[in-house]
Amino acid sequence: MDTFEPKIVAFLCNWCSYTGADLAGTSRMKYAHNIRIIRVMCSGRVDPTFVLKSFREGADGVLICGCHPGDCHYHEGNYKCLRRYEFIKRYLKQMGMDERRIRLEWISASEGKQFAELADEMTEQVAQLGPCKVRTVMENIT
Amino acid sequence: MEKEEKGKLKLAVYWGAACGGCCVSVLDVHEKLLDIVAVADLVFWPIALDIKYADVQQMPDASIDVCLFNGAIRNSENELMAVLLRQKSKILVAYGSCAHMGGIPGLANFSNRDALFKRVYMDSESTENPEHITPQPKYDVKEGELEIPAFYNDVQTLRDVVCVDYYIPGCPPQSERLLEVFQAIVSGAELPSKESVVGALDKSQCDECPRKKTDNKKVKQFFRPWEIEDDGETCFLEQGVICMGPATRGGCGARCIEGNAPCRGCYGPPPDVTDPGAKMMSAIATMIDSNDEDEINAILDDIEDIAGTFYRFSLPSSILRRKMIKKQLAEVE
Amino acid sequence: MKESRIGVYICWCGTNIAKMVDVEKVAEEIGKLEHVIVSRNYKYMCSDPGQELIVKDIKEHELDRVVVAACSPRIHELTFRKALENAGLNQYLFEMANIREHVSWVHSDKELATSKAADLVRAALKRVSYHEPLDKLSVDIDPATLIIGGGVAGMSAALRIAEAGKKVYLVEKEENLGGQAALIDLSFPYLNPVASFLQPLIEKLSHHKDVEVLCSATISDIKGYVGNFETEVSMNGSKKSLRFGHIIVATGLRAYDPTPMENYGYGRLKNVITSSEFEEVLHSGKIVTDDGQTPKNIAIIHCVGSRNNDYHAYCSRNCCATALKYANQLRSALPEAGIFELYADMRAFGKGCEELYAKTSEKDIMFLMFDPKRDLPEIKEAGKKDKCKMIISMKEQLSGEQIEVPADMVILMTAVEAREEAREVAHAAGISMCGNDFYIEKHPKLDPVATTTDGVFIVGACQGPKDIPESISQAWAASARVLAGICRGSVAVEMTTAVVNEEICCGCQTCVSVCPYTAITFDKEKNVSVVNEILCKGCGTCGSTCPTGAIRSRHFTDTQILSQIEGMLNEGKIKETEKIMEEL
Repeated sequence: MDTFEPKIVAFLCNWCSYTGADLAGTSRMKYAHNIRIIRVMCSGRVDPTFVLKSFREGADGVLICGCHPGDCHYHEGNYKCLRRYEFIKRYLKQMGMDERRIRLEWISASEGKQFAELADEMTEQVAQLGPCKVRTVMENIT
Repeated sequence: MEKEEKGKLKLAVYWGAACGGCCVSVLDVHEKLLDIVAVADLVFWPIALDIKYADVQQMPDASIDVCLFNGAIRNSENELMAVLLRQKSKILVAYGSCAHMGGIPGLANFSNRDALFKRVYMDSESTENPEHITPQPKYDVKEGELEIPAFYNDVQTLRDVVCVDYYIPGCPPQSERLLEVFQAIVSGAELPSKESVVGALDKSQCDECPRKKTDNKKVKQFFRPWEIEDDGETCFLEQGVICMGPATRGGCGARCIEGNAPCRGCYGPPPDVTDPGAKMMSAIATMIDSNDEDEINAILDDIEDIAGTFYRFSLPSSILRRKMIKKQLAEVE
Repeated sequence: MKESRIGVYICWCGTNIAKMVDVEKVAEEIGKLEHVIVSRNYKYMCSDPGQELIVKDIKEHELDRVVVAACSPRIHELTFRKALENAGLNQYLFEMANIREHVSWVHSDKELATSKAADLVRAALKRVSYHEPLDKLSVDIDPATLIIGGGVAGMSAALRIAEAGKKVYLVEKEENLGGQAALIDLSFPYLNPVASFLQPLIEKLSHHKDVEVLCSATISDIKGYVGNFETEVSMNGSKKSLRFGHIIVATGLRAYDPTPMENYGYGRLKNVITSSEFEEVLHSGKIVTDDGQTPKNIAIIHCVGSRNNDYHAYCSRNCCATALKYANQLRSALPEAGIFELYADMRAFGKGCEELYAKTSEKDIMFLMFDPKRDLPEIKEAGKKDKCKMIISMKEQLSGEQIEVPADMVILMTAVEAREEAREVAHAAGISMCGNDFYIEKHPKLDPVATTTDGVFIVGACQGPKDIPESISQAWAASARVLAGICRGSVAVEMTTAVVNEEICCGCQTCVSVCPYTAITFDKEKNVSVVNEILCKGCGTCGSTCPTGAIRSRHFTDTQILSQIEGMLNEGKIKETEKIMEEL
């Protein structure tokens, strides 16, 4: 029996979380292969459209990582991301999706270990939720 | 039956899942209707003329010069007619919000057929239906087999089922805009590129909106329009009332705003936006004047129905075009 | 996907990538996709031959886009962009897929890693077709430099730059220059007086024609960008505006206050003092307890506030060598005293330090080891019958025995930690802090004095605990970088900024208050928002705020990112599942 391998799209901000993920790499920390990273300059660039599009294209989970509050390279971009995240969680819930499929976490440039752990944690959580059927439902008009 | 006059344009108006408002908007050109019929023959218009589907089937392909198709695609009849009219029309226009984006009928995508039927035919307060009879696509009577159109689970837009040449947005489109489009066609002017939105501006409502706007777009609390003492001048967003204006094309003359009601988004998205609901949600979220998770959530509690508010007219054309419903999920492999 | 001619290069990175990702397979698979004109795999793409490969292909095959799948773009994006420039192609028509730091180095299943790598390359492929050529803007560099912090690092940098004939503003929070080093009597390992090199340094700076020393001064915010910064300095109630082209942050660290560590009784027991307080004692020339007596027994406790998850988890670097220094100084001053070094590990690395350790252990010093993570020594007031003021109970690790150490004076080797204004300064200068609140360098190995903010450098202890020679080395390294910039006279600024499409902007003004750099203003006449390209730092927040789609975050546009998502999640043939409005 095939075990379900979720696909998780992750938006990481260049200065903190992407660098943190790089650090996980240079430290050779092993984590789940299911994460696919897209680099943005700031988590404040993450538009809800990207999140919706990810699910629509078949992602089972979406992860957004930004700098810790107070540490954003662009001052407050991460807070704007936080506001949009809370908003979109509610929207997703209303649309019948499990809000555990989207997650926002703060990862700093030195938190390679935390990123690796987060990747594993989220992969497991989403695996438990099962495949996200958004794409299939959207592509099959009944 | 109209006598075919050479040189006259052939015009058709059809309604899918609609309220009739778009047809009324055509009539709302008032006496200018006489100018229209002077240069065009109305060859098909169920609300006004007794021309049958069979008559349309008889028409040569691409013989209808312009067909204004309003209403969404709710059932198999709507789809059938969309396909037929596409075949018979040179120019097929998605007329009005429903054909353009799904419109109000599109909100049924929060539900599905079974749930809708249950509510309408069994659970509604004035219904007595102890045998749980609901419409069936086929039914045997002694005279034979009766068929009615199949009711789809998903409401779709016109372009989901056929190629659309132009969109005239609005709920309903403003009659003045319709006239402008009609003039353009009649005068033989060069038409805009295919799949354009016509009869609307490229800029959003805010450009036309008479209210005063500042850069103070920070909201600590959201209100329903009736919960504030509207001063009639200040931008609705700055007063904490959700207005879809920024994400909605202009061209309607900001008529809701002129009536002191916030824009609801019926004219659809500006040119560079595919999902106006998502864009507006992002803008509104950014306006929340707080960086604290709990406070942000308390402010969001003020917005009763996020999906309904931001996708009032555009649900079937949005990225998540319908709600994921458990039973439906179980049916999908 | 837009019509393009794309060259794809999958790097082996020696075995770093190739060991875990089947690079040949990926290159082959990608080569079958539409718009891919060449698809190669090569051992070291960043090498000269690797780059020449790209240049050659661009010319021969008339490529208009390039994708390189290799290490992190943070390492070599600039390298490959230069290659494109050399071939006559705009450097922004390039995208990297990170298949080393994010794939080969972190996964252990070759098949899964290869599949993920292919996904990432497809994402890059789809995205790059929507990249647009962007020009770089050249800005002049103001030859003045701002140095925040007048400690040994800040002063060393200041002197270097001033001696090259360039103006320096040296801003110091305290009344006097000197920082932490000024508190130190002798330096380890050779026990030279710090004042002997510090005082002349302070003198030179105070009288140098190109150095403006501003003491009792604070900075709240720095505006601008590399080559063109400005700020307002507050000094004793008055304000002064400064303009400068580079910033060197040298704010250092402060000593940890061990009051929360109840086991040590600092603040409660009079003769428990910190290392900083002991330096004062050494400066005074008399080593006496609070009642003026000469101590018969002195204990020096290491790792106070360091190497323990309840306080600071990191090692403060200098304390071991300093403690050995104290043991030597105490032995010289008090030949008969009992001197105890309560240590966790003896970290006496660096030139001359092992020798110092060896020398110290011959001076009748008792070394007692404790566990800094679980079993900290406890200091109590001694009883009347004890012949000392305090008793230290500890579990000695080498013998495994619980012992009691007599002490009339205890010196706590306190940790170093971030200063309380560290965050404020970081914000002002536009730099980031790590979990320990030290400032983050651009690259720990390859670029330890630069930061990710162009024109801003970090030197000395503020970047992490270090000693005087290291601080000075960093200071001189940063000054060399600054002087190089000043010498060039101008710097290219990336134009990956936001731009407003005035034909779409409806004037809702939602974006104006969103920009952290106040780069967006509203043009009342035209009824549109306008972005100042120079102030804009390209964060993209306005792009995702704008409800009309009028603001485009160049090089991170909606179309580019949405296509990346599509490419990542659709295997095989890249198909358009949604209609994305093509941007001009």
